[in-house]
Amino acid sequence: MDDRTRLALQAQLAQLEQQFGERLQADLTDLATLAQDLQQTRATASRRLVMLSIRERLHRLAGAAGTFGFAKLGERARQLEQRADRWLDSAKPGSRAAEAFARAVLQLAGETPGQERDGAAELPEHHEEPAPGCRIYLMKADPVAGASMAVTLRNFGYLVSQWPNFAALEKAVADELPDALIVSVEHDSKFEALAALQQGLEQPLPLLVIHDRADFASQLAAVRAGAQGFFVRPLDITQLENSLERCLDRQQGEPFRVLIVDDDLELATRYSLVLRNAQMQVQILTEPTRVLETMRSFNPEVLLLDVNMPDCSGPELAQMIRLHDEWLRVTIIYLSAETDTHRQMAALLKAGDDFITKPISDTALVAAVYSHAQRARSLSTALARDSLTGLLKHADIKEQLALEVQRTTRTGKPASVVMLDLDHFKQINDTYGHAAGDNVIRALANLLRQRLRRIDSLGRYGGEEFVAVLPECSALQARRIFDEIRVRFAALSFNAGDQEFRVTFSAGICETDGHSASGLLLEHADQALYVAKHNGRNQVQIAQR
Amino acid sequence: MAELRRILHVEDDPSIQAVTKLALEAVGGYEVLSCSSGAQALEEVEAFAPDFILLDVMMPGMDGPQTLLRLRERIDLERIPVTFMTAKVQPSEIEHLRKLGARDVIVKPFDPMQLAEQIRSIWLSGRY
Repeated sequence: MDDRTRLALQAQLAQLEQQFGERLQADLTDLATLAQDLQQTRATASRRLVMLSIRERLHRLAGAAGTFGFAKLGERARQLEQRADRWLDSAKPGSRAAEAFARAVLQLAGETPGQERDGAAELPEHHEEPAPGCRIYLMKADPVAGASMAVTLRNFGYLVSQWPNFAALEKAVADELPDALIVSVEHDSKFEALAALQQGLEQPLPLLVIHDRADFASQLAAVRAGAQGFFVRPLDITQLENSLERCLDRQQGEPFRVLIVDDDLELATRYSLVLRNAQMQVQILTEPTRVLETMRSFNPEVLLLDVNMPDCSGPELAQMIRLHDEWLRVTIIYLSAETDTHRQMAALLKAGDDFITKPISDTALVAAVYSHAQRARSLSTALARDSLTGLLKHADIKEQLALEVQRTTRTGKPASVVMLDLDHFKQINDTYGHAAGDNVIRALANLLRQRLRRIDSLGRYGGEEFVAVLPECSALQARRIFDEIRVRFAALSFNAGDQEFRVTFSAGICETDGHSASGLLLEHADQALYVAKHNGRNQVQIAQR
Repeated sequence: MAELRRILHVEDDPSIQAVTKLALEAVGGYEVLSCSSGAQALEEVEAFAPDFILLDVMMPGMDGPQTLLRLRERIDLERIPVTFMTAKVQPSEIEHLRKLGARDVIVKPFDPMQLAEQIRSIWLSGRY
């Protein structure tokens, strides 16, 4: 290349760099807006979406900035992208880590980027990154028992700090707020101090209490201290973990979905504003005839139904909705200026769960809808889960698999399906009784939950049969994971009366291939499971195709 | 031995698209067709008949790996090397991309003055 061409080329490059610099300003402003969104978003699912879109932009910056002479900016974007990846991959992504991340992104976006082609730009300040999980403070006087609890909770993906006494806990809370508290209470007198600690906070922390006995007085004192869970020693730690998950989810679950059906658009808009301000997702429908299709697309948890509408009445509409089993989980609340209690009750008897009389204060509306929505949601979670293991039921795990298969065709990253079956389970039931059999199933479910990631789905497929779906995991990786679980499980000893016994399982694995439907993948995994059984059980096999 | 003349470049970021085109045309003397999406690449690939395909990994809609799969359904990629460009640098990712059939992976950010030479050596690496 001669000098003239080189000069012309460099001029063109410089022009492209300048254009990029202008675009960069706009990109950084967008990034700052997203970071602010992240700070304001509390629901895990919505937060995840914001995080994904921030990661995409950081990725873009990481790739482009360096090419145009903004090498340091690109490098920092890459580091932040990896941080976002860690958060997204974390088993229990915490809110504090998300907040710190948002601050770091804001800092990056707030600086005027300089081109460092001539070097000598100063190094970015290094901020220590908090770990991405949910932080739990555990107070337990007995350090050994406390440590063993902490280990189990860490296995579930929490970050656990342990404090030996109340003063230490108080100081730790003042230094840095955790996401939840677990306190083992020896004397009822401790509840007052706990209540005082909670009252000193802007918002009380989710609190789980462990106590010696469950009498009325101590449960009442616990509730007054803000407890959301109460456990009696000896402690069932998986039950405690369930409860912890529930109260963390309650804090940051997805927004409740509320559908308002009212022919008075103005009033409906007013209600919708009030509920939206309380972080709920609201849709308004003024034509009752379209209620079923709207419900199908919006999938509401609570329905606010005007009693008097021109085409059909609220109670008629409610009865129509109750004709469909799929909407049994939806709470129906009537809205009306009706003050005649007899007519109100008649409407309730037809279908529906509650009655709100217009006019209603904003706070009362929010409280009524919120409490019903919360109840509806915990019921529907309970219904989708198997009661013995807390895992997904047959139909739900199949649905999960179908979704994952769709996703892999999009991303091209393989996922694995694992089918797992306890060996000689009938014999265990016959020899040691069904209660012992149930214990085995529960223990396996807990172990699987502990060892798998949060993005993995786990379901009880049949009596002693389980299915796991592992996104972004090859069959070989899945075999490694399940072989480790197999060894751990075989080492557990179970008791029935004075007899001790051990149980093993066999598993079959099939990797997605980008075109096979989920039913076929399950079939292949099942064939591999058959091979594992046939070869002598207590082993993991990959489907041969 | 065939000569490297035409390069198909698929990239949704307009800045990267422009600088790549400039780098490959002005420095390398190649003919470059820039496509802003996998879908556009599928439409134009037959008429353009590229000797080499350069694919961005992360694109909205159809991403790089998906575009590769669809391209393979449409044309014979036996003698057309496909190379990915990505800002991801984890070895596992690069390994994954190679498994999909990529000849090589170019890591972003890249130096516009060196890009043509890099492509040329990838092209030559598979010739024997």
